[in-house]
Amino acid sequence: MTKQEKTKAETASRRSASQWAVAWRRFKRNRAGVAGLIMVSALVFIAIFHNLLALYPARPDPKAFTPFYKGDTAKPPSANYPFGTSAIGTDVFSDVIHGSVYAIYVGVLVTVITMGLAIVVGAIAGYFGKWVDNILMRITEIFLVFPSLLLILVFVRIFSISAGGGSWQFLGITVPPGLTIVIFILGVFNWASNARMVRGEFLRVREMEFVQAEKALGASNWRIIFRHVLPNILSSIIVVATLTIAYAILLEAAVSFLGFGDPNTITWGQILQENFSEMRTVWWAEFFPGLAILFSVFGFNLLGDGLSDALNPRLRE
Amino acid sequence: MSLIRYIARRLLYMVPLLLGISIISFITMYAAGDPITIITMGKPTITEAQRQAIRIYYGLDKPVPVQYLNWLVNILKGDFGKSFTYGGQPVRLLIEQWFWPTVELQLISILLAVALSIPIGIMSAKNQYSKRDITVTSIALFGVSMPTFWLGVILIIAFSYNLGWLPSAGAVGAPYLWPLFGIENPTLDHLAHLILPVTVLTYVSLAQNVRLVRANMLEVLRSDYILAARASGLSERLVIYKHALRNSITPVITYLGLSLGAVVGGAPMTEYVFNWPGLGRRFVDAAMNLDFPLIMGITMIITIMTLVANLIVDISYAFIDPRIRVE
Repeated sequence: MTKQEKTKAETASRRSASQWAVAWRRFKRNRAGVAGLIMVSALVFIAIFHNLLALYPARPDPKAFTPFYKGDTAKPPSANYPFGTSAIGTDVFSDVIHGSVYAIYVGVLVTVITMGLAIVVGAIAGYFGKWVDNILMRITEIFLVFPSLLLILVFVRIFSISAGGGSWQFLGITVPPGLTIVIFILGVFNWASNARMVRGEFLRVREMEFVQAEKALGASNWRIIFRHVLPNILSSIIVVATLTIAYAILLEAAVSFLGFGDPNTITWGQILQENFSEMRTVWWAEFFPGLAILFSVFGFNLLGDGLSDALNPRLRE
Repeated sequence: MSLIRYIARRLLYMVPLLLGISIISFITMYAAGDPITIITMGKPTITEAQRQAIRIYYGLDKPVPVQYLNWLVNILKGDFGKSFTYGGQPVRLLIEQWFWPTVELQLISILLAVALSIPIGIMSAKNQYSKRDITVTSIALFGVSMPTFWLGVILIIAFSYNLGWLPSAGAVGAPYLWPLFGIENPTLDHLAHLILPVTVLTYVSLAQNVRLVRANMLEVLRSDYILAARASGLSERLVIYKHALRNSITPVITYLGLSLGAVVGGAPMTEYVFNWPGLGRRFVDAAMNLDFPLIMGITMIITIMTLVANLIVDISYAFIDPRIRVE
């Protein structure tokens, strides 16, 4: 590497670092955003150390039903059971703690699938334009018009009936195949509005002078897309991805709550479902898992809004 | 004249969209395998002759493309086929029965939400970063993060079970469910059943709407024409309510259009929690039973309503903003 190239690389890295540093400085001033970051960090912390924090092991371990064997089914919150015990005789506190692993797993995986599809479709449509754009946007519209929650339910039901495959471990929790099916279906039905966003950003950046200059220099399409346009819309993608995590957690909870989840996957929505018919007697088993959902979703939403303000300062005074 | 041509073009443009959606909903039925195995699930003793009779009853004996075309033609005639459950009743009858409770619940909530969101959103945007604005935005974000069904559950526990003020489920009830005033008036009883679900739905869509109105108002208030209006000495009230409001509520109209379509879909979660006798609640059951004629029928109805609502929104845009027609 010549000296000149070296300095060039250095300035480039320094410049991009400072751009993010500016955003970070702006983000730190935003109290709501910082609160969101703290809430999300707390969630991640709980998920990583769930085995140490919970009082009883996660289901399917039979020890999870210790309160049941002790005759402590449907007991209100007390020193022994901080969140009470459920209608089927598990410790709600432990269930909620273990549930955080699923929440992270669902939120991140659904977002990876959603954003992956959205970026591919949005980039191709926005960059190539013309008939490609036309066809892809018509398909996107079909997915937007579809009543997605309803179709998600139908597909989850269809595929969970014929569910096979193995389960695996994530952060020490068994992930049954049923949950992965739900995740894929949620991802497949949620990319449309994000794809529109990516397309819009591509249209905006595509017309910028530096892209035109790069084209004039004979750069390949792939180089322009990956080296020039994508890095420029990264901030929008990060914001939307954060909000998508929140939405995914909420949607999965709804699917499980309505009774379409895998009964072996004790997500927060599943706990709500298990105790729904008994809510009159075990209100604590409905209250705390829902609070956990609200806490996580609120955290990710606050973080997303904070990031949006920090990365897109146009609306700031 | 150009407006009529615009509408005609938009109508034509809906045709491929509808066809695409109808094909996808029809294929869904075969994604689960042979529908006959679903209908006869849990009846292992059924004979082959009985299976054949069921196939003929539902028209499943014909080749799949023919089935699709028949289904499509019948829909145009207003016949949505027969349900796999509910004793094979016509889907159309079932939908008609569940349609109005859902529309009632949704319309009240959406209108309330829109009516409240505009003044709140404007107030919030006008005083950006003030204490009031921060309170409003936090409550709104809280609402967006709220699991709808959980809010319903908590309200039921608090207001029905603990306080005993309001009924917990259904659209009409035995009077003893509502002992607070001891009035046996069917209208009052129905209103009492509406309060909790309407509260849940209104809060959630109010939260979304307020965020929309506020964000757009902020954007509009920064534009040059507002600066010009202010510079020419117009009062703040006139600037905001006459000049800024018009441009800042277009996204609310879009949202309204989308949610009017969703009116029919209902809020399945809210209807489920409150056991509301509407389409959303029944769709959850239909999905659970894989009752495909019903699923397809409800999906098509929702889609058509959404498209019609979008069309109305587009046309009203064309009225508000003539630039759109040119494009």
